[in-house]
Amino acid sequence: MDSWLIVMMLGGSIFLGGLALLAFLWAVKNGQFDDEEKFLNAVKYDGEDELNDAVNLERKKEKLKRGYRPE
Amino acid sequence: MKLSNSIACSHCHLEFSKDVMIKDGERYFCCNGCKGVYHLLSDEGLDSFYAKAGNVKLSPPTEQYEDSSNFNSPAFYDRFVKVNSDGFSEVSLIIEGIHCSACVWLNEKALHKMDGIIEASINFTNNKASIVWSDDTVKLSQIIDMIRAIGYNAYPYDSSLQEAHANKERKDYYLRMAVAIFASMNIMWIAVAQYAGYFSGMAQDMKTILNIAEGILATPVLFYSGWIFFRGAYYGMKTKVVNMDILVATGASLTYVYSIYITLMKSGEAYFDSVSMIITFVLIGKFLEVLSKKSVADSLDIIGKHIPSEVNLLKEGKVVSCKLVDVGVGEIVVVSSGEKVFLDGEIIKGSGSFDESNLTGESRPIYKNIGDVIISGTVSIDADVQFRTSKDFEHSTLSNLVQLLENAIGKKPKIEQLANKLSEYFSSVILLLSFITFAVWWFWPHDFEIAFMVGVSVIVIACPCALALATPVATLVGLSLGVKRGILFKEAAQLETMAKVDTLVLDKTGTITVGKPQVVNEIIFSEFDKELLYSLTKSSKHPVSHGVFEYLETLEEGLSVVEFDEFVQLPALGVLATKDSFTLLGGNYRLMQENGIEVEYTSDKTLFYFAINQKILAIYELDDKIKEGALALIEDLKKRNIETIMLTGDNENAALRVAKTIGLKNVYWEQTPEDKANFISKLHEQKRTVVMVGDGVNDILALAIADIGIVMGSGSDIAVDVGDVLLLNDSLLSLGDTFKISRTTYGLIKQNLGISLVYNAITIPLAMGGYIIPLIAAISMSLSSLLVVGNSMRIKIKWNKG
Repeated sequence: MDSWLIVMMLGGSIFLGGLALLAFLWAVKNGQFDDEEKFLNAVKYDGEDELNDAVNLERKKEKLKRGYRPE
Repeated sequence: MKLSNSIACSHCHLEFSKDVMIKDGERYFCCNGCKGVYHLLSDEGLDSFYAKAGNVKLSPPTEQYEDSSNFNSPAFYDRFVKVNSDGFSEVSLIIEGIHCSACVWLNEKALHKMDGIIEASINFTNNKASIVWSDDTVKLSQIIDMIRAIGYNAYPYDSSLQEAHANKERKDYYLRMAVAIFASMNIMWIAVAQYAGYFSGMAQDMKTILNIAEGILATPVLFYSGWIFFRGAYYGMKTKVVNMDILVATGASLTYVYSIYITLMKSGEAYFDSVSMIITFVLIGKFLEVLSKKSVADSLDIIGKHIPSEVNLLKEGKVVSCKLVDVGVGEIVVVSSGEKVFLDGEIIKGSGSFDESNLTGESRPIYKNIGDVIISGTVSIDADVQFRTSKDFEHSTLSNLVQLLENAIGKKPKIEQLANKLSEYFSSVILLLSFITFAVWWFWPHDFEIAFMVGVSVIVIACPCALALATPVATLVGLSLGVKRGILFKEAAQLETMAKVDTLVLDKTGTITVGKPQVVNEIIFSEFDKELLYSLTKSSKHPVSHGVFEYLETLEEGLSVVEFDEFVQLPALGVLATKDSFTLLGGNYRLMQENGIEVEYTSDKTLFYFAINQKILAIYELDDKIKEGALALIEDLKKRNIETIMLTGDNENAALRVAKTIGLKNVYWEQTPEDKANFISKLHEQKRTVVMVGDGVNDILALAIADIGIVMGSGSDIAVDVGDVLLLNDSLLSLGDTFKISRTTYGLIKQNLGISLVYNAITIPLAMGGYIIPLIAAISMSLSSLLVVGNSMRIKIKWNKG
């Protein structure tokens, strides 16, 4: 058995596993596991309106930020 | 039962009869509040809420909220509102009235629609919300008004306190553990290849590849997950204490450095698996400890949570609400029945009964008339009175107590935990042994390389994994045993302290006794319809009437309520009701006397008389009953050699009667809260470990100062906050269980520590002799940890069976 095969398999699997771990860490840090019920329920209220609201909120935030600190 | 013509309210979905509903076009509403919310939601375009909520029943909005403008006061902003890095204000609120996910949706939606609000996120599980807004555009009072307008209520809480801090720490541990566990599991399967190669032979280049892979995985474990140990080791060295963290940190990093050296030299065995395993196991042990740690009681929080900000004052003939702290001496405060008194003073108008049991331990209601003194912290049972304040809030009895409490909390003695004590010695001994081993091997002509490896293997094999897991696993078992029996330990370390207790101090009212009058004897002169008495006592708030009511309820099932034509509560006398041509009287001796009814019956207990049309029909004797299991508890404690003492604020007679019944010799009566605390301090001076059991405000000082404070679940809110252990079912049997569980747990901790020490006693000499191969190191590490966990589970299973 060639060593490069082992290197490739080990490297590949650790890399993929590492990606999954990073995704998990990101999710924990982001607070996605803080309130399990809400995130499950959020699926029920997902739609075009909600998307629009989220965008509007984002814009409002930007506007307020700019208004607060004129640069 | 569903009424035939009932109809659901369009907002809250509660069902009522059609005639009482407010009709509004096609819709029906149960109250104006619901109607208001419904229209508001339709106007705002939020009516899709109803489709989302389905048939969930909501609570109808209540309309009497205090003025929201005080949320804008600078003092309030100071305490609850934070300014974040972007310059926006931030507050944490608890939202009341959330029933379903649609409620969360509605609140967030409504808030997001407001100008100036940047973010509003509500946690469905605990109903806590965090709101970010720009204070130039919108004020906090407007935000709270909005939440109230859509039918919920919100009040702020101080998120900078322990809870938020604890959550942050927990999350930090989650992240570190996730990394450690991920890497360890991957290292394990690489290690399987290593071990297989060790026995069947493996080419060196293959070994190096595996070593490098393990090294890559072990690096984040050591430096990210293991950061906690480096930090702990640093603080340990700073305070000159050899703690477990030093052992873990040196062991893991030495092994890591050595393994890198082996990998580069391409000869020998690398120990990357040990590095990650040590860190992972000890980290899990530490996490379990963090999980069961009590957040330090914040005295500021205790005051804020249980004392309202406003009281009703009588000024120029009008009742106005005024901030508690602004009330001066000589002002007139209005108290109505059922309210708590927060200021001291003298009654100038009205009379009635007060419940002082919280403060004095006196279980009977006390009748107060004009000229009598009212003490802050007591509760009005049926009295509507006005009183003139004699002290301002800052100097009142209640805030004095709370101030004393603040000092007392810091005085709680800390008993060092067995594992901590042990680990200090253990760590020093191991570090020393490892150094000696290294020195001996080096001077006994060996290469530096071999001597170093053997020295390191001593540290690695003396893996503190089992030692680190011994206490947390055992206390977790203890905590879960407690929870099943209604005993909540606020902190795991208290189980150990509890096991060392040699003195038990009990309060009387509410602890040994039930704390409210119950019927002990019924004398019936002539038969009568029980339903009449049942209905009469049901509507009264007085504890004596309530005691009779509860007695009747247990005596006969399915009694129905009779509608009276007239019903009057007579303060400090009883109740009067009329039905057709009958006049019903229920109350004390004075009520009978005033109505010209002759009774010849005396007793030292509280009596409740019942008469219809001037004819006495029945007398009930009531007494503060002693709780079930009191006698057995005292017997049990005697067997365990625990000295039991009763302290009560009640009078001599009541104290001695209870003490005699349960067979207690050490009794002290008429004790003020300070007396109780001093008593416990004195016991501490005699080097005793004291547990205090209580329930009232008068016990809080003693509870705070005792090694362990146990509080009955029905106790006053402040007491529940101060106590270390909470007995949810108020039962004395649970109190006995508390002792049993703590002793079992302590025994278990000792066993676990024993197991790990025996393990080390066997493996360390082997390591010093240089006989340890990586496989044995790894197996012994896991096996000792497994033994400790298994032993703890054994106790749990044994208890659950018994």
